[in-house]
Amino acid sequence: MTPDGKKIPNDNIVRLVDIRKTYVSGNLRVPVLKGIDATVRRGEFVGFIGTSGSGKSTLLNILGMLDVPTRGQYYLEGIEVGGLSDMEQATIRNRKIGFIFQSFNLFSHLSVEQNIEVPMVYGQVPTKIRRKRSLDLIARVGLGHRLGHRPTQLSGGECQRIAIARALSNNPAFILADEPTGNLDEKTSDEIMKLFHELNRRQGVTIVMVTHNPAFGPHYDKIIRLRDGKIDDTPFEWEIEQEAHRAEAERKEAEQ
Amino acid sequence: MMLVGDFFRLSLHNLLLHKVRSTLTSLGVIFGVGSVIAMLAISEGAKRSALAQIEAMGVDKIIVFSKRPPVSGKSESSKNASIMERFGLSSVDRSNIAKMDNIGQITAVFNTRKPILKGTRRTDLKLMGCDYEFLRDSQARMQKGRWFSPSDYKNNRCVCVIGKNVKRQLFFLGSANIIGNTIRVGDDVFRIIGILDNRYSNQYPEIGGQNDMILIPMTTARALYKDYTSIREGRNFRIARVEYDLFLIKIKDTSCIDNTAKRVTRYLEKNHSETKDWGITVPLELLMRMEQTQNIFTIVMGSIAGISLVVGGIGIMNIMLANIYERRKEIGIRRALGAQKLDILLQFLIETVFLTSIGGLIGILLGVGIGSMITYYTGMPTIYTTWSIILALVISSLTGIIFGTYPAYKAAQQNPITVLRAE
Ligand SMILES: Nc1ncnc2c1ncn2[C@@H]1O[C@H](COP(=O)(O)OP(=O)(O)O)[C@@H](O)[C@H]1O
Ligand SMILES: [Mg+2]
Repeated sequence: MTPDGKKIPNDNIVRLVDIRKTYVSGNLRVPVLKGIDATVRRGEFVGFIGTSGSGKSTLLNILGMLDVPTRGQYYLEGIEVGGLSDMEQATIRNRKIGFIFQSFNLFSHLSVEQNIEVPMVYGQVPTKIRRKRSLDLIARVGLGHRLGHRPTQLSGGECQRIAIARALSNNPAFILADEPTGNLDEKTSDEIMKLFHELNRRQGVTIVMVTHNPAFGPHYDKIIRLRDGKIDDTPFEWEIEQEAHRAEAERKEAEQ
Repeated sequence: MMLVGDFFRLSLHNLLLHKVRSTLTSLGVIFGVGSVIAMLAISEGAKRSALAQIEAMGVDKIIVFSKRPPVSGKSESSKNASIMERFGLSSVDRSNIAKMDNIGQITAVFNTRKPILKGTRRTDLKLMGCDYEFLRDSQARMQKGRWFSPSDYKNNRCVCVIGKNVKRQLFFLGSANIIGNTIRVGDDVFRIIGILDNRYSNQYPEIGGQNDMILIPMTTARALYKDYTSIREGRNFRIARVEYDLFLIKIKDTSCIDNTAKRVTRYLEKNHSETKDWGITVPLELLMRMEQTQNIFTIVMGSIAGISLVVGGIGIMNIMLANIYERRKEIGIRRALGAQKLDILLQFLIETVFLTSIGGLIGILLGVGIGSMITYYTGMPTIYTTWSIILALVISSLTGIIFGTYPAYKAAQQNPITVLRAE
């Protein structure tokens, strides 16, 4: 049971066993991940936090099968993905994983609905169904009035909503978001986080997110802290400060 | 993996996205294919007209003709001046050849030259005495009027058929109907009964074009002129005696035309041993040799043009490589959204093949344009064969496949991580 009483089934979508990643450039070996063990359960909202350069993006890319670990096993819905062919990996990326990037990464020459359709194109979804589903998704992220627009005609927040719709288009098992609010102002960031929150709480979408923003702490069911390439459960200083702030604010509110 | 339709839609979309660049990229292929098509059309045109010329002699015939023997040295020419020159094929030759195996009909021609008056002006036209079958054998047609009748031959009638170019030389413009008019030839008057048109007027060696001659029945020619003719020597004419100028010898079984030709050659060598005053041509042999050399010509011309296609292909490869570097982020995003390496490879390959195929289509139009212009301005015939069009399309698509595979492979091999991190 999480603080707001949400039920999380005991069903691991992701299980990482001793994941290590060492970058080799010339004679230099840079160990980035030094043995990560973690799980993500269905319906969970997991936050990866850690200082810059601690390997959060590296871990997220491994989860998204864009990168391969140097050692360790990655089980996705019980299947070890390390031994799969490029075709099988691509199919899993397409069907099971929704990517959301800091810089949106929409195609500027496609309309918003065409952008949302791209994963369905690779999933061989028939044209009619594609179109219908992309219209549904645009409505779901609150941009029904932006049909036919190009990403260049949209604000940053609107672009990220389209990217979220795109990530959801094949009904993935989970969503991977790498600092999705990194390019947005505070107000827009909050709105986007609210959308993620709703998707998770109302529609049960599993989300794995990397952010710097300590204010997002309360949204997460589970926080995985990366420190020096390892998982370390002791909270960061700024987390404690943030928590103190929040407690203070609540106390003041209660006093009034 | 994408559906086939999506591949095509995506490629077309990307090409239209950069119209100017796409056009510039395919220019190499456009000009390459254009020059291949034009070259093939020109050499095909040359081949067909050369072959038609040979075919007009008749592939079922052996052509034997009289040739003025080379005059060797001054002494001989001065010696010959005293006696009348006599050379060429004779009626003895004709009957001897006719007796050989595998020989059918022999159609003969005898040329002579007489002063002919146009008003009071003297023109110099050749007369051609010919056998009845000559019209059929030479594959000429009557533009107007009729050919000689058997009774014209029997009665040695002074009738003539004029070549279509002769009309202009003998009559003033505007004289509409000249059939039935007469021509004065020396002391004789000939009535014009027809106008002859031969597309391959010059097909026989040594005798000149029929469209520029006056044709008369062989029997009439013999009766009037015997075997006398006049040959031009500088400004003067000399009287000489040549019985026949040309034999069109029909062969019964063309499969052994070689042997028959050899036999005729041996006979002539033996019976004209003093001077070489004859020649022989086997159109079927010429045809086969011609076909061979023309095919080599076509291959050489096509290959030279093909080099520009290779240059065009290398240009495309270059631009596609730059294009892929520019679009490496797009590739990374597509991979993250579920594209296989194969999807990326096919996307860029199909894009390149699209580019070269469309370039090929435009190139074909360009080639036809160039060919038509050449025909229009120089009169050289150009012929576009179906296989040259198909070849152009296949080659242009192949160019896309050959020069598009490497860039497409590079695109597919790009690591999506490095691509996505490069922000
Ligand atoms: N291709 C690479 N080669 C070498 N080092 C790399 C490469 N990619 C990332 N790194 C290093 O790995 C570390 C972790 O990077 P990253 O996962 O992006 O951190 P984060 O997202 O937590 O800021 C950084 O020190 C970075 O310099
Ligand atoms: Mg990062």
